[in-house]
Amino acid sequence: MAMEVTQILLSAQSVDSTVRKHAEENLKQFQEQNLPVFLLSLSVELANEEKPADSRKLAGLVLKNALDAKEQHRKYELVQRWLSLDVSVKGQIKACLLQTLSSTASDARSTASQVIAKVAGIELPQKQWPELVGSLLSNVHQVPPHVKQATIETLGYLCEEVAPEAIDQDQVNKILTAVVQGMNANEANIEVRLASTRALYNAIGFAQANFSNDMERDYIMRVVCEATLSPEVKIRQAAYECLVSIGSTYYEKLAPYIQDIFNITSKAVRDDEEPVALQAIEFWSSICDEEIDILDDYGGDFTADSDVPCYYFIKQALSALVPLLLETLLKQEEDQDQDEGAWNLAMAGGTCLGLVARTVGDDIVPLVMPFIEENITKGDWRQREAATYAFGSILEGPSPDKLIPIVNVALGFMLTALTKDPSSHVKDTTAWTLGRIFEFLHGSTLATPIITPANCQQIITVLLQSMKDAPNVAEKACGALYFLAQGYEDVGPTSPLTPYFQEIVQSLLNATHREDAGESRLRTAAYETLNEVVRSSTEETARLVVELVQVIMTELHKTLEAQKLSSDEREKQTELQGLLCGCLQVIIQKLGASDPTKYALLQYSDQIINLLLRVFACRNATVHEEAMLSIGALAYATGPNFAKYMPDFYKYLEMGLQNFEEYQVCAVTVGVVGDICRALEDKVLAYCDGIMTQLLKDLSSNQLHRSVKPPIFSCFGDIALAIGENFEKYLMYAMPMLQSAAELSAHTSSADDEMIEYTNSLRNGILEAYSGIFQGFKNSPKTQLLIPYAPHILQFLDSIYIEKDMDDIVTKTAIGVLGDLADTLGSNAASLIQASVSSKDFLNECLSSDDHLIKEAAEWARLAISRAISV
Amino acid sequence: MADENSTPHKRGPLKSSVGSAAVQRRRDHAVTVRKERREALMRTKRLCRVGVSSDDADVPVDADMATDEEQSVLEDQTVKSMEELNLAIAYQGKGAMQKRVNALRELRRLLSKSEYPPVEAALKAGAMPTLVQCLSFGSPDEQLLETAWCLTNIAAGKPEETKALLPALPLLIAHMGEKSSLPVAEQCAWALGNVAGEGEELRDVLLSQGALQPLARMMLPNKGSTGHAKAATELIRIDGVLDAILRHLKRGDEELATEVAWVVVYLTALSNVATSMLAKSDLLQILVDRLASSNSLELLIPVLRSLGNLVAGDSYVTDNVLVAGNEVTVRVIQVMIKCLSSEHRVLKKESAWALSNVAAGSVEHKKLIHSSGAVSILIRLLSTSPFDIRKEVAYVLGNLCVAPSESGRPVLIVDHLVSLVGGGCLSGFADLVRSADIEAARLGLQFLELVLRGMPNGEGPKLVEAEDGIEAMERFQFHENEELRSMANQLVDKYFGEDYGLDA
Repeated sequence: MAMEVTQILLSAQSVDSTVRKHAEENLKQFQEQNLPVFLLSLSVELANEEKPADSRKLAGLVLKNALDAKEQHRKYELVQRWLSLDVSVKGQIKACLLQTLSSTASDARSTASQVIAKVAGIELPQKQWPELVGSLLSNVHQVPPHVKQATIETLGYLCEEVAPEAIDQDQVNKILTAVVQGMNANEANIEVRLASTRALYNAIGFAQANFSNDMERDYIMRVVCEATLSPEVKIRQAAYECLVSIGSTYYEKLAPYIQDIFNITSKAVRDDEEPVALQAIEFWSSICDEEIDILDDYGGDFTADSDVPCYYFIKQALSALVPLLLETLLKQEEDQDQDEGAWNLAMAGGTCLGLVARTVGDDIVPLVMPFIEENITKGDWRQREAATYAFGSILEGPSPDKLIPIVNVALGFMLTALTKDPSSHVKDTTAWTLGRIFEFLHGSTLATPIITPANCQQIITVLLQSMKDAPNVAEKACGALYFLAQGYEDVGPTSPLTPYFQEIVQSLLNATHREDAGESRLRTAAYETLNEVVRSSTEETARLVVELVQVIMTELHKTLEAQKLSSDEREKQTELQGLLCGCLQVIIQKLGASDPTKYALLQYSDQIINLLLRVFACRNATVHEEAMLSIGALAYATGPNFAKYMPDFYKYLEMGLQNFEEYQVCAVTVGVVGDICRALEDKVLAYCDGIMTQLLKDLSSNQLHRSVKPPIFSCFGDIALAIGENFEKYLMYAMPMLQSAAELSAHTSSADDEMIEYTNSLRNGILEAYSGIFQGFKNSPKTQLLIPYAPHILQFLDSIYIEKDMDDIVTKTAIGVLGDLADTLGSNAASLIQASVSSKDFLNECLSSDDHLIKEAAEWARLAISRAISV
Repeated sequence: MADENSTPHKRGPLKSSVGSAAVQRRRDHAVTVRKERREALMRTKRLCRVGVSSDDADVPVDADMATDEEQSVLEDQTVKSMEELNLAIAYQGKGAMQKRVNALRELRRLLSKSEYPPVEAALKAGAMPTLVQCLSFGSPDEQLLETAWCLTNIAAGKPEETKALLPALPLLIAHMGEKSSLPVAEQCAWALGNVAGEGEELRDVLLSQGALQPLARMMLPNKGSTGHAKAATELIRIDGVLDAILRHLKRGDEELATEVAWVVVYLTALSNVATSMLAKSDLLQILVDRLASSNSLELLIPVLRSLGNLVAGDSYVTDNVLVAGNEVTVRVIQVMIKCLSSEHRVLKKESAWALSNVAAGSVEHKKLIHSSGAVSILIRLLSTSPFDIRKEVAYVLGNLCVAPSESGRPVLIVDHLVSLVGGGCLSGFADLVRSADIEAARLGLQFLELVLRGMPNGEGPKLVEAEDGIEAMERFQFHENEELRSMANQLVDKYFGEDYGLDA
């Protein structure tokens, strides 16, 4: 029953776009009208040795795309559709796929491997296709190497697609054995060895048990290390990728091998081809990642035991590792500063050096200083740049006591280099290093300031001058200024930057106006730096910030007036609008924070709103996000007066809430609803029907990105707090949603950290909703409406308490809800409260918490409860 | 799927441009700000309530009362927290602000902790100069708030402890200014209120330092918040304020009178001192006049609530003003009838509540209400109005049927009971018994008990049975509330036991 699809598939790759589109349309129709026949026809095409390579390959790709999609919701649909297909059709398709693994056409084999893995990804977790792994393994022993290669490739993809739990240990063992044997030097065929090495990379996560067994682990490690010495560069690279993955997955098993690994990686870094050398450096970077995490877990608290002990591999290798990395710094590429995606030995080496500094702290300084001193004054720009880069890399990690004396000596030199060095590379890195100095060694926490009245003016003059340099240098100078300003964020009423404020702002605005401001992301850096300068400014310069409002409004106005733009220009314009909205957001926040400046700001609020409304009228997601944030800030500043903007703004609010494809826009808009609730209080009531309808729709949609759900629940709380007992009419919709979400989030049921984090954020949202509702109804005649929900809410509190996996934030919110419930329901809930675990064990635990916010919430809850049960 | 030729690096370069991280940080900051504001709002809502009640004398005492030992622990903690605070003030590094605020918060918590707050220990440890320093201009709001809160607690102490606040007064007054945020201004007002309450001497100091104007400004509702509550107690203590309130309420146009009436609502709700001062003025008369003459809902609500607060809050009113035979008493009942018959639920509910407080008075009061037109309206409301109003109405009707007695057990007023039951109120009470609301159920049961016990000729049980009262009471057989369970079970046993129905 398969149909002939060769011609359509070939047409779909035609150079003639009309032919191509027509063919694509046909394929789509076919797929919609008869999925089983469509998929079967594709698999038959893929398996047919008589067919052209191009149509076979495309058949495989279309088949693959019918099984998987990036977007979660679509993926789920595709999986369900496959599972519901007739068993015999699926059987035929799978037979075709397995048969293709023996094809002589390598493209067809490789495509079939990928499709098989996709099918396995769907079926194995459902306990279907149990014979797959067995039949693949039997292929491994076949003589033709190309079949073996394809089979091992399939096993590798399979490990990538399927979770380890879906395959039992016996089969895992067999897969690993086949893969590791394929890597072995005894395997004559290079393609088989390469496929095996790549397959091992995917299979490492499956080898938990095998890595716990000394003999098996020794064997795997020996084979991987041997593969790093293969004459084939691709095999060496793949072997190092395995090593990197082993390093982060089985850090605690590495001790016996680390010396050997150091030897082979250093040889690779020095002598091997770049792709291999980069992976060798990556191995050490990922070891740093592991040790930084472990040492972080140790924290200042030595009683806390981390699951994994630190073996201090980096510290042990330090004296050899640092010189190795310093050598790489001299291997820069000429144009790396202009190329945003550049990645080479010098960059990887410097990045690793930075991680090493964070891992070992002070110990790195004496090992790097001689390199800096030797190279910083050399005639070759590569040496000066490498020396500067080395310095910049080690500024995070070592203690200020160790670094500040060095920085004090170096600062003058760096400022001169930034103005006078003939090499743009050196200037770029120098400005970046200054930024790192200000980021880590400047600020109110540090006892000895590195910026003093004596050098402040010079620093600023040099940075502002560099903003006229090449775009990449100017961008780094902005970065330095950004951190310079940030260091003064809590400086008190007078800031050393005040005398320069106007000049700084003007220079930054000039930078944004440069013709070449689009290069090296200079414009973005300049605006964001302007924001930071404003944010960290003091009341002394408030007047100037007020003036800036008009400047930014004028700029924004200009972008809205521009007409007939090319698509390139439009894109640029859109980006600029986003930056300007961001700038407005920061200025509004700043001026809105104190009364006198707030009034100065509010004289422009009509104009600002009009501009923002026009921005909303242009449809672009990023700009909407930024404009929404400005609206939120403005709502706080205007307070109840924001009501007059609501009639015009409301439709954009609704549009934002409906935008679940661009879920960040939706999320930001949900947040803005909260801002508006707090600003308008009960005046928001008129809009609540629309808002609630939209929020409830969002929650019921299975297309909504899950990260938006917690903020929507919190938003229920915001609304209830604002409109009080008027929330009554939404209770019958909101409460069941909250209740079912609460049931789902009561148990995490997964050891996955990310999932636990998400569950906790969901719980927090739900609890904030409950708190808002209770507090909203407090003292109203309708509190009794909440009584029926009390048992479930208390039960929810009890069950998350018993689960013992709440984070501090959820704990605080949860104990708060207990208090709110008691506060609002009073004696009506007394017996329920007394029967709950939360009101006893949980409350007591919170009362003796070290976290003062938890303690405060708990003390309040205790008071509310004692009042409720004493009445 | 891995591309054949290149492995894309996943690690970001150490040397990166500032832009994208800055954008992210800015957005995160917006989210953080929003969270903080949500939290601050929630905190205000919660603390507002706590604050109000701890201002009263009869705070529900903590379950575990402080023993002497606990007291000395508390004092040690206080001394320690003062040390922490001084350290935090000396510290100038990053996060200094947060450190100070945390230290202040700890001190404040200690000072609010027990029935006997360790005020003396704090003062001995040098709290006052330190706290005055924390009030200096330009300090962040959170710090000011916590400091003013500490001072509020100190001022609530013994007279000489209150006087210790003298050096802080000018700054507390200054922070009530227009530029201050509302929570800070309110907390300062509260602290000053405690000072003003101490006596004439301190009140004079406050007046001479100009406290009156900012306090009065806070009373006006144009600051966009309902939070002028804390300023209430202290305002009333200031000379001239009471007169101004009465004058505006009496002669002002409806708009002004509405504003002032809300002020009175807060005063009477929040402060016993204020209530008792107002009770002795001719406020009641003015309120009644307003209720009788106005049809503005905006005005009627606060006026009616003020009246209710006044009646409920101070026995002086019921005992000395609303005595039977006074014209004002009759008029109060008339305006209540007007409100009970209103279309507006808030008016109905508030007036029922106010009336229930009058009905709780003397037998004369009960007679007066019983003989007025209120009863038929009340009985109708008991069966037709929303639940919360029914509850208030039930209180009025219940109160009409019993009178306080010296023996403790209330005495039944049989003719009232008979006429109310005759008017058809029993089914309404039986409904209340079936309610899930414990308070309402208790009311219902109590009334059934009256009927069972008090109706002449032993008619009670039959009447109750006719309203399905037995079934209603049997619902409590296994109720989790012990009081209701035993009350209902006893009634059923006593009146519907084995012998019931034998002689029928």
